[in-house]
Amino acid sequence: MDIELVEILDFLTSCPPFDILPESIQHTLPAKISIRYARRGTHILERGDTLEFLQIIRTGAVEIFKQDGQLLVRLGEGDIFGAQTLQRGQSIVTRTEAMEDTLLYQLPAETFFELCEQSEQFKDYFGPLGADRLKRAIQNAEDGQESAFGLMAISLGEIISRKPVCLSTGASIQSAAKLMTDEEVSSLLLVEDKDLVGIITDRDLRRRVLAKGLDPSQPVSRVMSEAPKKISAHRSSFDAMLTMAENNTHHLPVHQDGQIVGVVTPYSLLQNQCTSVVFMVSKINLQQTIEGLQDVCTQIPQLLVNLSDSGTTAQSIGHALTVVTDTISRRLLRFAERAFGPAPVPFAWAAAGSQARNEQTVQSDQDHCLLIDDSYIPAQHGAYFEKLSHYVSDGLNICGFVYCPGNAMATNSQWRQPIRVWRRMFRRWIQEPTPKAVMLCSIFFDLKFIGGDESLFWYFRDCVLDNAGKNRIFLAHLAANASRNQPPVGFFRNFTLIRGGEHDDTVNLKKNGVIPIVDLARVYSLEKGIKDVNTRKRLEKCRDSGLLSGRGATDLIDAMAFIELTRIRHQAKRLRSGQSPNNYLPPEELTPFERDHLKDAFLIVRTMQSAMEQKYQISRF
Amino acid sequence: MLPFWWNNLTLLEWQRRWLLHRSVSGPLNSFLQHPMPKRDALISTLDFMALDLETTGLFAKRDEILSIGMVQIQGCRIHLNTASHMLVRPQQAIPEESAIIHGVTDDMSRTGKRLESVLPMVLDALKGKVLIAHYARLEITFLQAACRRIYGYPLVLPVVDTLRMESTRLKHSNRYAKAGDLRLDALRASYSLPRYRAHNALSDALGAGELFLAMIAHRAGSGEMLTLGEVMR
Repeated sequence: MDIELVEILDFLTSCPPFDILPESIQHTLPAKISIRYARRGTHILERGDTLEFLQIIRTGAVEIFKQDGQLLVRLGEGDIFGAQTLQRGQSIVTRTEAMEDTLLYQLPAETFFELCEQSEQFKDYFGPLGADRLKRAIQNAEDGQESAFGLMAISLGEIISRKPVCLSTGASIQSAAKLMTDEEVSSLLLVEDKDLVGIITDRDLRRRVLAKGLDPSQPVSRVMSEAPKKISAHRSSFDAMLTMAENNTHHLPVHQDGQIVGVVTPYSLLQNQCTSVVFMVSKINLQQTIEGLQDVCTQIPQLLVNLSDSGTTAQSIGHALTVVTDTISRRLLRFAERAFGPAPVPFAWAAAGSQARNEQTVQSDQDHCLLIDDSYIPAQHGAYFEKLSHYVSDGLNICGFVYCPGNAMATNSQWRQPIRVWRRMFRRWIQEPTPKAVMLCSIFFDLKFIGGDESLFWYFRDCVLDNAGKNRIFLAHLAANASRNQPPVGFFRNFTLIRGGEHDDTVNLKKNGVIPIVDLARVYSLEKGIKDVNTRKRLEKCRDSGLLSGRGATDLIDAMAFIELTRIRHQAKRLRSGQSPNNYLPPEELTPFERDHLKDAFLIVRTMQSAMEQKYQISRF
Repeated sequence: MLPFWWNNLTLLEWQRRWLLHRSVSGPLNSFLQHPMPKRDALISTLDFMALDLETTGLFAKRDEILSIGMVQIQGCRIHLNTASHMLVRPQQAIPEESAIIHGVTDDMSRTGKRLESVLPMVLDALKGKVLIAHYARLEITFLQAACRRIYGYPLVLPVVDTLRMESTRLKHSNRYAKAGDLRLDALRASYSLPRYRAHNALSDALGAGELFLAMIAHRAGSGEMLTLGEVMR
């Protein structure tokens, strides 16, 4: 090859999978290429043609359409097409059109086959479909990250190193303390006829016995914690950590086949990353002032970095960060009740949006509302709940959870209503799905109980879910709304980038990546009346109930996992370099392989969006 | 611009026949054996050769050819297996100011061949083809001067000038190009073609070839077939 074809060589070797070929082979490629130009709007390949070349887009963008005219994929600079058709050896079944002026490099089919033979990796690149490739990428991304995650994924059964130390409830406090000292344990399980009835810990002995000057000859049942929270040995360390955090406890009895097999503590979980959420939650629960909470919250970014570094899955990180937010919200509610006295009528404080879905990252804003019992009389009780909501909302803002820009907060009197008003509002939204109503639904259909009267919350949730799933027109509007944010599937430099303003040349991973999946899962799960709000759980249930194909749901779950992982890594990276975290990813931050996987993920989302559009026939609107 | 008759295939054909009668010999003679294509020949049926020269200056009488880059276009596709790049050893030293532009230094030139042995290869490659160049006047005048010097006679061949194509297009739509708009890089950018960093004879020949493909793609309206006469105007 003439050395002067360096421009062609440079470009080719920057495109996966050509980048993985040995240099000696790379150098032979430019001379084999023929170049072709297609004006915007012209057909590049027609159905029935025989494909003789592998097509590489040098500049421009193309769209490939299925037989029925449906858009299959959009491709941009550096993208390759035609490989599958070449491998199948059939004539072309799709139609390819230039959506921009496009310069194509064409590599002869026989050269393509030679390369496939010479390099297994090269061949693999064109092998499985995008979804499989994505799944492998997630696995690689998670495996690649050291053992910390491994530890968190380990089931508790594997961690338990010793049998639990048990004592009957009739024994004296002193004998309990002696047994704990002899056995060198920090907790003791108390049993009656082999049934676990309570637990006593070092801290109980200090607080409930010594500090109170209680007679140590008293039975231990007087100071034990009754009916302690248990966890199955099949669950993971990470689950144990979350359970501890959620229940603010440090000792968790582990059961297997109906028997208690041991106790886990934060210390037995060993890993700092694993436990930092637990510590943070207990610290939050110890705080007595908003300033104290604010102080603890300054560590949240570090928590994200730690969890990200330890290779924790995006799902678990989202859950962990949400547990922290939930705890802070509950703590603030407690402070408020302390300041203003108990509520005059029952109420439920509910979180909305990502907090409700257990999908928070750092710098989430606050979304919440207040559901009040129907005995509420505005003139009489209004002032109390107004004070309460402002107190909590201001507190959250101080802690770094900024006010919701759309004002979807309990401080807004519209979102602080008795149940009957809420029901009337939902009914109206469902019957008259104006764009605004649909937007509000997407916020308030994802609710989670935080504090107050839990039964009130669930009563309300059931009523609403019942109404929504039955109204096809409403679902269609919701589906139309859900396909409004489209993932950037292949454009200039592989992505549709944000133009103008400070986020030039970036991809918005939240708006164009996460939100479309969240919206889509909501539509389907509302149709089935699924109560879960977490996107992954929603998708799993939709799959189990047959609403989504097994393949489709699994692909979407993988896509969500990869996009979220990319987003969290991006945020951790910014935090580590002292910048504020955001959702704007510059594509050059990714390796070419990661970029491909992200594109695969986007493609899956787009495909599933199209399926949804068809199912709910949203073109009618 | 080239003399008025250079875009007239009939006049070019007469010139060719006249030269053949002058008992031109050697490589130029066998080059001239190929008749000119007809003006209504379809672009897609013709063979083209995109060609670019790097020279020591702009004047064919005084300056010398340093390198020649060529790549063939057939059936509206550029075939890179035909790409070639030849260094020519000049008789004088290379002026510094031109070395900056084309990047050909004295050391590189010394590895080149004498124009006498390069020219037959160029003529052989151009045989029966239409030449494509951006601002073709330079290429034509240098090639003619070389033939005159070595064979005693100039050469004639059909030429498509991408710069001329663009200015004709603008004139037809009553527009005029601003200074710099017609440079190869600027024109390529306006047709969404990639930016090439290097400026050697081959990358510029390739650049002109790609620009030609882009221009004919934009000229050929809905299904209409372009003829050679149309792109030579």
